[in-house]
Order: sequence, then C-alpha cells, then structure tokens
Amino acid sequence: MTPHDDFVAERKASWDELAQLLDRWGAKRTFDGATISRIGVLYRDLCNDIVRCKAARFGPEIGAHLDVLAGRAHSRLYNTRPLRLPNAFEFVFGEFPRALRANWRFFFLSILLFMVPFALGLGLTLHSKQFAEHILPPSMLEMLTEAYQKGFDDGRDTSQNVAMAGFYVQNNVGIAFRCFATGIFCGLGSVFFLVYNGLSTGCVAGYVTASGAGANIWTFMSGHSPFEITAIFIAGAAGLEMGYSLVATNGKTRIGSLQSHAKSIAAQIVGAAVFLCIAALIEGFWSPSGIPAPVKWAFAGAGISGVTAFLLLGGRGRSTA
Amino acid sequence: MTRPRNSIASARPDALLDTTTDIETPEHVRFRYRVAGPSRRAIAYVIDLLLGAIVVVVFFIFGLFGGLTDPQGGASVGVFRLIAFVVQWGYFVFWETIWNGQSPGKRMMKLRVVTSEGNPLSFIQSVLRNLLRAADFLPNVYAVGAVVMARDARFRRLGDLVAGTMVVAENTAGIIDRLDINPPPSEADLRGLPTRLPLSGDELETIEIFLRRAGRLHPHRQYELASLVAPVFARRLGVRVLDPARFLAILYWRASTSVPAKRKPAKKKKRKESIRDAA
Repeated sequence: MTPHDDFVAERKASWDELAQLLDRWGAKRTFDGATISRIGVLYRDLCNDIVRCKAARFGPEIGAHLDVLAGRAHSRLYNTRPLRLPNAFEFVFGEFPRALRANWRFFFLSILLFMVPFALGLGLTLHSKQFAEHILPPSMLEMLTEAYQKGFDDGRDTSQNVAMAGFYVQNNVGIAFRCFATGIFCGLGSVFFLVYNGLSTGCVAGYVTASGAGANIWTFMSGHSPFEITAIFIAGAAGLEMGYSLVATNGKTRIGSLQSHAKSIAAQIVGAAVFLCIAALIEGFWSPSGIPAPVKWAFAGAGISGVTAFLLLGGRGRSTA
Repeated sequence: MTRPRNSIASARPDALLDTTTDIETPEHVRFRYRVAGPSRRAIAYVIDLLLGAIVVVVFFIFGLFGGLTDPQGGASVGVFRLIAFVVQWGYFVFWETIWNGQSPGKRMMKLRVVTSEGNPLSFIQSVLRNLLRAADFLPNVYAVGAVVMARDARFRRLGDLVAGTMVVAENTAGIIDRLDINPPPSEADLRGLPTRLPLSGDELETIEIFLRRAGRLHPHRQYELASLVAPVFARRLGVRVLDPARFLAILYWRASTSVPAKRKPAKKKKRKESIRDAA
C-alpha cells in the first residue's frame, strides 16, 4: 500500500457519501437541516483532504476528482439567492427606471438614432414609393400592404395572423435584444440596428400609407408601439452604455469597467424585456381585434402617458435599495 | 484578454498546463475548476436548442387543435406568439436560475455556469450572459463567440465576459488506480537512477498527466511531447535517453514506488482530530 492508496481507502467512504447526498440534492429542492449540516461537515472534511492531497503530492488525478467534488458541494452550499417576488418587483419598478434616468443621455441618443431615420424613411417614401423599394424587398412591401388593406373589422385573417406572428416575434423582439447585445462592439452594433430599423419601419409605414391603407396600419401599430418602440429605445440605450463603458474605462480594465456597469445595464434590459412582453400581449390580442379605431387610439394615448409617467416617476421617493 | 479586477483566479504560469482555474473558497481552501471547452458547450447548446424547439412545436400542435386555424383564433395566435418569445429568450435564464447555473443540456454534459470567483451565478448575470448570445451568435453560428473564447484563457464568450461568469465541467473519471507501467522497468532500465530523483513535485505531476493521457495520443505526438522534457531530466540525472516516453514512465515508476510510506499514519491521525475540532 502506498500513501496514496491509504489516503483513498481511509477517506473514500466520506467522499462517496458526499457525492451521493449531492446527487439526491440535485433531484430534490429541499433537504432537512440535519442532512444539510451533514453535507457541511463532509464538505469541510473534503477541504482538508484537498489541502492534504496537495501537500503530500498524491497526484493530479485524485486531486482533480476531489476538486470536482468540492466544486459541486461549494456551488450547492453557497446556492444562488432565490429570486423573490418583492426583489423582482423592486428591480423592475424601482431599479429599472432609475437606471434608465441615470443613462438619459444614451436614451435620448437612442431615440434620435431611431426616430431621425424613421422620419426620413417615412417622408421620402410618402414623396415617392420607389424610395422604400430601394431599402426593402418589394415583395415584402406588397405582402404587408395587402395584409393591412383588409382592415380589422372582423378580426384579422388567421393565416395572415400566423404569418404576422412569426414575423413580429422574429423581428421586433429580436430587434430590441440584438440592438442591445451588439452594443458590445463598442456601441457600433446598437447604432447600426437603431438606424436600420428606424429607416425600415419608416419605409413600411410610408409605403402602406401611400398605398391607401394608412388608417389601418397606424391604428394597428398605435396599441403596442408605446411599449414596443420604447423597449427598442431602452435596449439601444443599454447597448450604447455597454459599448461606451468599453471605451471610457475611467482607469479600470476594459472588462472591469464593463462589469461595473453590468447592474445598470441589466436593469435596463430586464425593463425592456418586461415592456416587450406587454407589447407582445397587446399585439397578440388587442391590435388585430375588431375593436373600433377611436377606442384603439384612446388606448394608445393612455399607453404613451403611462409609459412616460412610469419612466419619469418610477422608483423615485424610495431610498436606494 | 484582461481578467476581471476582483478575480481571485490564479495567474501562475504553471496553471496553464491544463484548462483549469483556481478558486479560493470561504474556507480558505483553493481548489480547481476545470473550465469547459467549446466543443462540449456546443453539444450542450444543441441539446438545449432541440428541447426548446420541441416545446414550441408541442405548443403549436396544441394550438392547431385548440383553434389556431379557426377564423376567430386571434387568442391562440397571441398565446403562441408569447410562448415562442418566452422560449427563445427565456429558456436559458429560466433553467440557469432554478437549477443553479445548469440547463438541461448543460446538466447532461455535466457543465455548470459559475461566476469568475467560482460562486453561483445570480439571476441578473444569467440575463446578461444569455441576452448577449445575440452578439456572440454573429454573424452566424456563434462565430464571434468562438473567436472570443479562443482568445480567453477560461473560454469565456462575450456574454460570460459581460456577466462575469464562466462555464466549468463537473465530471470526473472517478478515483483512478495508480498508474501501471507496462512492461515493468527492468534492472537495466533502472540502472543509474537514484532512489530519490531530483525532480520537483510539479514536474512529477506533469509527467503523470502526460502518462495518463499518452494512450490517447498518436505515437508521433507522444514522442514529440516527451522529447520536449526528457532531455532536460536526463541531463540532470546524467543518463542517456533512447525512448523519451518510456524514460518518463520509468522516472514516474521510480518516484512513485520509492516514497517512504511509514511517516503517514501518525500525521493522518493528527489531522483527523483537528478536523473534528473544527466541525
């Protein structure tokens, strides 16, 4: 028997017991107190074994085995703080608007980067439909025009509904998150997606309006846009902040600077995701329904005021969490 | 790539011998995480992708039965839209949060996401690392992510860098028997080798890692790797080397069989008691 074998023979039962308890813990959510303290004892013994194994040079393989076991126990014992509802609530209704207001410069930049190309695309397409055809494939423009010409008096046609559903999920939600994620390339990706999507949205709206279905598309978009377009602005703002933190590091390493902004960026993107969920609900149930246009416009007005009030006033008057 | 400023991970040059990273626990014990490589993460990702697709397809079929083709089916379209959205963007966040850094695919491949300090990741970190998939994915099939991972010592993609996380492997081959040298060294092999070799513990561990993996290497590669170090040891011992891989095996055999085994028990007992006190 070598010292290595002695060591294994003496301690193996304890390691196996720990591994077994961890396996069972993986399947069950909770454990009684006695078992958890037993795991704690076994884990501390294991920590001792690791030190001993290293000092006595029992070899890399046994060391690797113990390291893995310790890693599993460690990540179990120091588990993620569970997501509690009040915390999540405070995060979305307090942290998010505060983070966005602190980042107001990029929020306004994001709005400009979207709205200026939007206005440009809209104006030029209304002036001449050919402009839109340079930007977007004509077949897609035709399809959209056809879809909106039918109106919503008896709800939208189902096959169209499915097609639009796929289109919107891929587009609008994807747009917002892509706007954010590509901000990692020093903000350039966010700039590109904001400009490109502003321009193409403007072109679509202009094209459909010029084709004579203007009332339909604007009424359709009015319901969810306050949430959806705002979510794109917010995602863009978060992306720009992320990109900027890589450039202006304030003496930190680039990654360090990025991570010091991580909480603010996360708050904004979670807020944007909540907005997108609301937008998806409205877009799925409300916008394509046969509800009369004046009601839809009143709803849109309420949506815009609600969003503005929330972003301006949310999370004020509470001490910082 | 720069390391996060508050990371405790080791920067010792010899830590680069393998894809591992050192973690110091609150118990002031350092242990090593084995960092997961791109191929295993890719397999785990494909599994997760398929599972997510199955969920969406199942809901779509239910939707068809439940009136998706019905002319008045606006409601089920809305529900389907919402499910597709939630699965596409929420799948990983959901699992990584409730399963402490694991998704079904990661669990099957025995991977886990932890923070750079080796602690469990938080909900916010999971949101960040998974939304940034959109950037890692560009221009297609995670090309950016692959390049970033290749540049990083801990295989972190952009999402991991922003969130301050890494993916570690949790599998182990179990407790392996001592390495056997086949055929056992002859008298002639051992001639000229002192009983206590002038090799450091690190050097012996490196030799052991090499020998354990030699079986999976092509003989030419084995020869190439072994001849990097064998001449160094041979010069130190003043002997000549014919077959470098065999020479390393003999060195290992000599070192592992000549360690005095008597000192151990007394030491063990003492340690044992101190553990009890601490516990």
